[in-house]
Order: sequence, then C-alpha cells, then structure tokens
Amino acid sequence: MAEQPPIVFVLDDDASIRDALRSLIRSVGLRVELFASPREFLEAKRPDAPSCLVLDVRLPGESGLDLQRELAEADIQIPIIFITGHGDIPMSVRAMKAGAVEFLTKPFRDQDLLDGIQVALERDRVRRKHQAETAMLRERLESLTPREREVLPLVVSGLLNKQVAAEIGTTEATVKVHRSQLMKKMGADSLPELVRMAEKIGIPGSNR
Amino acid sequence: MISISANTALVGSYNYGEVARSVLIAVAASYAGLDLAGRVTAARGPVRLAWLSGGAFAMGIGIWAMQFKGMLAFGLPVPVAYHLPTVLASLVVAIFASAVALYIVSRQKMGPVEVLTGSVSMGGGIAGMHYLGIAAMRLPAVTRFSPLLVTISFLLAILFSFIALLIAFGLREETRWTGPRRLGSAIVMGVGFSAAHYTGMAAASFLPASPPSLSHAVSISPLGSYGVVIVTVIVLMAAIVTSSVDRRARAEIQRLNQDLERRVAERTLQLETVNQSLRKEIAERERAEDAVRRSEDQLRLVIDTIPQQIMSGPNDGTVDFANAQWRSYTGLSQEELQGKGWQRIVHPDDREPLLKAVEESRAQGKPYEQEVRRRGADGQYRWFLARGVPLKDSEGRIVRWYGSNTDIQDRKETENRIRLVIDTAPAMLHSARPDGYLDFFNRRWLEYLGVSLDDLLGWRWTGVIHPDDLAQLVDKWQTSLATGRPFEAEARLRRADGEYRLTLHRKVPLRDEAGNVVKWYGSVIDIEDRKRAEDELKRQKEVFQKIFENIPAMIAFFGPDGDIELVNPEWERTIGWTLQEIRERNLDIFAELYPDPQYRQIARDYAVSSTGGRTEFKVRVRDGRVIDMAANVVQLSDGSRLGIGRDITQRKRTEAALREAQENLARVTRVATLGELAAAIAHEVNQPLAAVVTNGSASLRWLSGQPPNLEEARQAIERTVREANRASDVIGRIRALLQKGPPQMDRLDVNAVIGEVLTLAGNELQRDGVVVQTDLAPDLPKVLGDRIQLQQVLLNLILNAIEAMSTITDRPRELLVRSSKDPDGVLIQVHDSGAGVDPGQAGHIFEPFFTTKPQGIGMGLSVGRSIVEAHGGRLWFTRGSSHGVVFQFTVPKAD
Repeated sequence: MAEQPPIVFVLDDDASIRDALRSLIRSVGLRVELFASPREFLEAKRPDAPSCLVLDVRLPGESGLDLQRELAEADIQIPIIFITGHGDIPMSVRAMKAGAVEFLTKPFRDQDLLDGIQVALERDRVRRKHQAETAMLRERLESLTPREREVLPLVVSGLLNKQVAAEIGTTEATVKVHRSQLMKKMGADSLPELVRMAEKIGIPGSNR
Repeated sequence: MISISANTALVGSYNYGEVARSVLIAVAASYAGLDLAGRVTAARGPVRLAWLSGGAFAMGIGIWAMQFKGMLAFGLPVPVAYHLPTVLASLVVAIFASAVALYIVSRQKMGPVEVLTGSVSMGGGIAGMHYLGIAAMRLPAVTRFSPLLVTISFLLAILFSFIALLIAFGLREETRWTGPRRLGSAIVMGVGFSAAHYTGMAAASFLPASPPSLSHAVSISPLGSYGVVIVTVIVLMAAIVTSSVDRRARAEIQRLNQDLERRVAERTLQLETVNQSLRKEIAERERAEDAVRRSEDQLRLVIDTIPQQIMSGPNDGTVDFANAQWRSYTGLSQEELQGKGWQRIVHPDDREPLLKAVEESRAQGKPYEQEVRRRGADGQYRWFLARGVPLKDSEGRIVRWYGSNTDIQDRKETENRIRLVIDTAPAMLHSARPDGYLDFFNRRWLEYLGVSLDDLLGWRWTGVIHPDDLAQLVDKWQTSLATGRPFEAEARLRRADGEYRLTLHRKVPLRDEAGNVVKWYGSVIDIEDRKRAEDELKRQKEVFQKIFENIPAMIAFFGPDGDIELVNPEWERTIGWTLQEIRERNLDIFAELYPDPQYRQIARDYAVSSTGGRTEFKVRVRDGRVIDMAANVVQLSDGSRLGIGRDITQRKRTEAALREAQENLARVTRVATLGELAAAIAHEVNQPLAAVVTNGSASLRWLSGQPPNLEEARQAIERTVREANRASDVIGRIRALLQKGPPQMDRLDVNAVIGEVLTLAGNELQRDGVVVQTDLAPDLPKVLGDRIQLQQVLLNLILNAIEAMSTITDRPRELLVRSSKDPDGVLIQVHDSGAGVDPGQAGHIFEPFFTTKPQGIGMGLSVGRSIVEAHGGRLWFTRGSSHGVVFQFTVPKAD
C-alpha cells in the first residue's frame, strides 16, 4: 500500500513558537500542522500517515503531560516530543517514563528537535506496519473455521498432529487436513512463521 | 171437720168483664199512687203525714178493690162467701203496703236499700193481701197452693213493686210530660199487679170439701161488687182530684212565693244602695278629720325634727317651751326648763356673757347672737351659736322671744385644725389688715426668727429685715396696699442664728363681694439656697459657653426633628457657613453638606433617631472640598441631640498612605521569592529566545536548500528580530515588576518617612519582641527622593535587622533608628543588636542573589543599594558598638 507522507503536529500556546517551528520543520521537507490547544488537536481528524506530536508542557488549562496521559488512555499511540520553557528534571523524567520520545528545553538546538522528530516518525512507521500486519492476520484468523481455530493454538504450542487429534477427539488425518487448511488461510509457509503470526495476534499458548 | 171428698180440683172460670174492670182499677190505683207520690214529696210537715195517710188509704183501697174484683171475677161452681174480718184485714194490708210505698218514694233519696226493702215489703204486702183474700174465701173446698206459682206470684209482686217504686220516684216532679208519663206507667203497673194477682189465683186450686163455716162470712152480691167498684172509683177520683187541686194550689203558692222573693230582692237591693252611700259619706268625714289630725302631727313633728334646738318664751327672759331637739339634747323635760331652768345647761363661763347679750337685745329689741358652751344630756359640753329673735306685734311691742341653738362644735374643731395646719405648714404664713397692720404670724415665723409674736405684730416686723433691703420692701408693700395688687418682694431676713438669708415675700388680697380688700394673706419663703444654686448655675453656664466657643472641635445641637439649632464657632469655621447665614439664606444645610441624596437621608435619619455613638462620615464644606469627619452623638434627655466632631481628613490620608505602603510591602514580599522570580524570568525570556533560535536555524536550512528558499529564510529572520525585541521587552517588564514605576522625586521629611516605615513594620517588630528606639534630629533639611523607594530601602534594612535578631535570646532585641545631618543631606542609621555580619561574607552582602537566609531573596540589599545610589546617596554598614550591625545610607538634600 502506498504510504502517505509523514506529518508533524505542533501544539504550543505561543504563536511565535508555532510559526518558528513550522518554518523549521518545513525546511526539512516535512508536512506540519499547528494547534493552539489540546482541544483543537483532539478534535482534528488525524490523517492516516506516520505522525508525531511536538508538545509544549506548559499550556493554559490542561498541561502537556495531562494530554500525554489522555492520549495514552484513549490508546492514541502518537509519539510525543516535549518542549518546555523550564528545565524541570522531575517533569522530564515523568514525561519520558510515560513514553515520550524526547524532552527538550527552550531554547533548544534545531538539530536536536529534528532528530527527535525523525526517531518519532520512524517509531510511528514501525507501529503502523505492525498494526497493519496484525490487522491482516486477524482478518485471516476470522476466515478460519471453528475447528481450524481450535487446532491452531494446539499446533502452535508444538503438539504433534497425533496429540492434537487426541486433544480434540478426532483423527490425525483430520488434523492434518485442518492444519494444511489453516496454514494456507493464514498465509504461513512454515510452522515457525505460523508461530510468529500467532504471537503477533496473541493466540494463547503461542509463547509456551 | 173438713173432709176431702174428692181429689179433683174445682174448675173455676173467669168473667172477663170483671177481669177487665179489675185491671182498670189496677191502672187507676197505680195512677193515683203515682200522683199521690208527688204530693207527698211536695208536702212538708204535718201536711205531709196527711197526704201520706190519705194517699195510702186511697191507694190501698184501689189495690184491694182490684184484688177483690179479680177474685170476684173468678167464678167457681160452688158458692163462695167471704170472711169479713179477713177481707178487712187484707184491706189493711193493702193500705199498709201503699203507705210503705208512698213513704219510700217521697223521701229525698231512694237508695238500693230503700228500694229493696220497699219492693219486698210492698210486694210482700200485695201478695200477702192476695193470699189473705183467698184465705177469706169460704167455700166447700180445700185450698191447695202450688208452691211454684205461689213463689212466682210473690216474685212478680215484688218485681212490679220494684218497678213501681222506681217509676214513682222518677215521676215525683211536676213537669209537662208528667201526666202522660204517669198514665203510661200506671198502665204498666196496673197490668203488672193484675198479672201478679192472677198468677196468685192460678196458684190456688180448690179441692171439694165439706162446706165451710160461714160465721162472719158474707157473700158478695153483684150489687156489692159494683158497690165496691164505685166506691173504689170514687175514692180514687177523689184522691186524684184532691191531688190535682193540691198541685195547683202548690203551684200558685210557689208562684206567689217567687213573686214575693223577687219583691224582697228588689227591696233589699234598694236598701243596699242606700247603705253604701251612707257608708261613703261616713268614710269621707272620717278622712277629713284624719287629715286635720295628721297635719297637726306633722307640724309637731316639724317643730320637733328641725335640727335646731328651739326654745321660746315671753319677754321677761324666761322660757316656757322648748322643742324635742332641745329637750333631747339637754335631757331636761318641759317642766324642768320652765322659767330660768334653761340657764342651767349653759357653761358657767359663758353664762354671764350670754345673759348680758340677751339683756342688751331685749333692751334694744334686736336679735342677739352668742357663742356659748351648753351641756348635753351626756354631761359633755359642746359649742353652740345661741340666737334669739323677738316677735313683735303690730305696734312694735315685743310679745315673745324665739331662740335657736346651732351646734358649732365641728366648726370650732375645724377652726382649731386649721390653726394647727397654719402653724405646722412648712412656710411662714401671715396675714394683715387692709391698713397694712400685720395681725397674724404663724408659728414658723416665730421659730425661724427666734422671736415672739409681739416682736412682729403691727409694723414691728421691720426689725428683722436687713437694713439695705427694708426700703424697697416697705415701698412695695405700700404700693400694694394702695393699689390692691398682689405683693412680691425679696429681702434678707435675720434668722434666729443671726445669719441673714434671702427670702421671698408674697401677699394676696381677700376681697368681699363689693370688691373691697378685707384682708391680706401672705407667705415668706427662704430662697437663700435657691439663690446660691442659681448663681452656681450661672457660673456653669458661663464656663460651658466659653468651652463652646473656644474648643477646637465642632459642636452642633440638633432638635428632636433633626434640624440644626445651635453650632459653635469651630463648626462654622470648618463648614464655612455660620448659623445665621444658613438661617438668613434659608439654606438646606443637609443638602449642602451631603450632596448625595442617599447619604443625606442617612445623615438626617441619624440626626433624628440616633441614641448615641461614634461615627465617621464625609462632608462637603462650603468651598466644595470633601472632608472626613469623626463625630460623637449624644442624646439629651429632652430628645435633642448633641454632636461633637473633628475633621479627620489628614488622619485618613495618613491611614491611606499606611495602607498603601503595607500593600507595597506585601507586593514586594510576594514577588521576592527567588524561585518564583526565576521561574517568571525563565519562562518569560525563554519563550522569545526559543523562537529566536528556532527561526534562526530554520533560516539557515532554508538558505542551504537546493535551491535556497530565500523567501522562507527572510521571513524566518524577520521573526528572529521580532522575537529578540520581545525578549528585551520582557526584561524591561521584569525590572518594572521589581521597581514601582519610575522614581517619583519629592521633597521629603526623612523623619516622617522613618515614622511611616516603623508603623509599617510595627507588626513584625511587636511579634518578635523588638524594642524600638528612635533618635531623630529635629531640624533636618528636606531631601529629594522617591518616598516609596526610600521606604522600601529602610523597610528592608529593618526587616533584615529583625531577622538578624530573631536568634537572640540572651539579651534584649533592640533596634535603633537614627537620623542626623550629613554634609550632603541626611544620614539614616539602622542599628540592631543581632549577631552581626560574618567577616568572610562581608564582601558579598550587596551582591544580587546573595543571601544567608534559607528563604532569602538576596535582592534586598542589592536593590537597596541601587535605589540609594540612584538617589545620589551611599549605602554601607559598620559593626555595632556592642552587638549587631549598623546599616547606614545617605540621601542628598533637596536644594
């Protein structure tokens, strides 16, 4: 699938910072979108592209850290780069522990910011890919018959066909058939591949 | 000897003509009987007996005749003779029975007993008569009786007798219907008795027997039978006729009687009337006599009841009459008082004067009047007013004296009581004659003056008046005497103890009906104390007046309705109007003082209704300034109010300045935490800096692009410049935060500034137990400086001093602030008794952010130095003489 070009979101209440950042980020050829408040950001429709968020900690009303928590609770996994006017160590530690990519204090070096953005975008790219894969595997899982779905975890846990058959009360031959069917449906060429797939989508027993 | 030859009864037969005649006779006899019953009833006395006998006789014959006829009607085949004695006996029985009947029915009452006995005897009699009649028969036969029929015949006889009695009793009265009724009844009775008879006849049966004895027996020839009938009829007729004659006669007699009675009644009525009028006359005459008697009694009563004791007598001084009052009071009887006896009851002491007066009156022919004591019946003397008037004849000669005695004991007692009152009253009372002669002084006079009555009477009283006051007193008294107007004067009187006391003399006239003065009554009261009190009051008034006019406070009096009634000069000076001006111009002073209507209303309400208290308010004075006033309002007992106030505008200003300084202090304290300051600076400055850096970097990148984007780069550089300027503004603002505006230079009194700062720090000083001493030079020159800033510097030094001494516990915490002249201006020193400055740190003290305090700013001294140096002065410190530090700074004087 064609990937959309990445985009950087900038959220700062200071207009001059916003403008400066926009110029800087565009100067390295990235798309950028500006927001003045968390509300604005949350209400905006996020495009389907790798993205990251450059977020000021000190915002009127809801702080940047609060927004970080909110996003995490809403399972919006957008990587965040904090910028702040203070150099508060406890704050930075909290931010990093909560999953921020970077914590920069103003005035920061332009390169530090751009590097952070790259890392963030890459992380987001990887996550997206991972998500896409998982989604695809789930689709494939859906296409399995109940019986095949029964067989899958048993096969993935390393049981022999014979054992599987005994487990579910059928013949080895039937098991064999199920196994080949499900492998085909899942698109796995080998058992290890199937196991990796199972891991990805969280089939129980796949980590045995 | 009688022998019975056969047992068949003889058969008799009845001659029905005879039977009928017997019945008729029966009826006639019955009628007669009824009629006669009436007569017997109506008759009285011996006449009654005559009627009874005659009646019985007639009726008896009648009945017997019937019976006899009846027997004669019965023919037997044998000859029948009748024993004459027996026949006569039967006649007697019949007469007897009739008598009984007549007797019974003629009585007033006929009760059951009488009826029964009557019926039985009568019936029995009739039946007896019958059987006697049969027994009189002499015939050759034996008579046998059927017991049954005998009984029946008796019963019938009794029954019809009963009926007969009842009817006869009922028909005694002579009424219109009596005749026919009697007739009807007679028929019934006649038939009845006949029935009884024939029943009796039937009861007898004759059995042939030997011929009887005919001694004394007669046979009845038809003539005899007719004879009986005729005689009977005649008798009955006679009875009836006589009966009717008698009845008529009776009726006539009755009528005559009634007539007589009527006449008698009339006569009686006439006599009654005459009698009544006679009685009335007599009653009237008696009434008249009564009236005369009563008035005589009344007169006597009047004479005796008049509440006066009256006596009278001839013109020789004796007395021959005294009324009941007189007598009952004195207890003397009419006899005892005769002549001169009446004099006995007069009090010995009063007797002579009385008799003298009487003698004089007699001589002159005029009435006398004398107060005397007279002894009453109880032995007690009472005061009386004895009066006597002569009665003169047409020629003027005295014929009689009439005297009265009026009890005046009560009046005398009242007089005594009044005298007692006059003497007891706590006033000096006196009276004077119309000529000015003082004729009475009550006891108070004598006690007060310590003199006797003689010393005062007439005109001698002038001796107790103070010489200097005498003239005007006498003058006024003379005037009053002349004009009759009430008298009033003040004069000093010499009291018993010798002291002269001021007294008020008053007299009023008593006039008679003609308007002439008959007497003067007056009083004198000691008014010395009152005068002294008045003098004291006058003095107090003067004092108050002086205060009122000179006090450096505003005084205003408000009436109960809130209007200003009186103000003092200070009030007028402060407000700008005088009360006179307000009145002349008819100013609404409240409107002038309080331009705001609501405020005015409050002020007015307060003036009207306040019960007291302290209040502060604003007032607009005449020249338009608004001043602050503090006033006390006091309510007076008469409802008006008194307000005392002061202009406190200056004080308020001072208070406002103090408040402002305190606010500044607070603000400075607020801003001065390094953390906050730092954070403020950091944030404020970092924002524009970050923008500068970012925009700069961006423009570099734009320029190194292939190709370089000059437009973007240019815009970024523009933003850079803008942001850098913004950063500079921020710095400026921060500085402004620490410094309150640009320094405001003024000519200041350093001592005043010191005083203000000490007030500002008052709380802290007190809380830490710091003893403050000041040594302020009196004649310092004015300096040129910003009051707030200088206060800041000094405050900082004092707070530092307090802080430095806060650890000191073994010696008093003393702070000394000194001001003195300096060659350039003024030197201010702040000396504490703290631990002093560590020599190692001495050099750093004035550096910014240097502090030894854990919460310290480190700004105070550095800022302080910069302020002082900005003023052209110097700030340094030296060590204290015994303890602590002396911070000193100079401020150049204003030129």
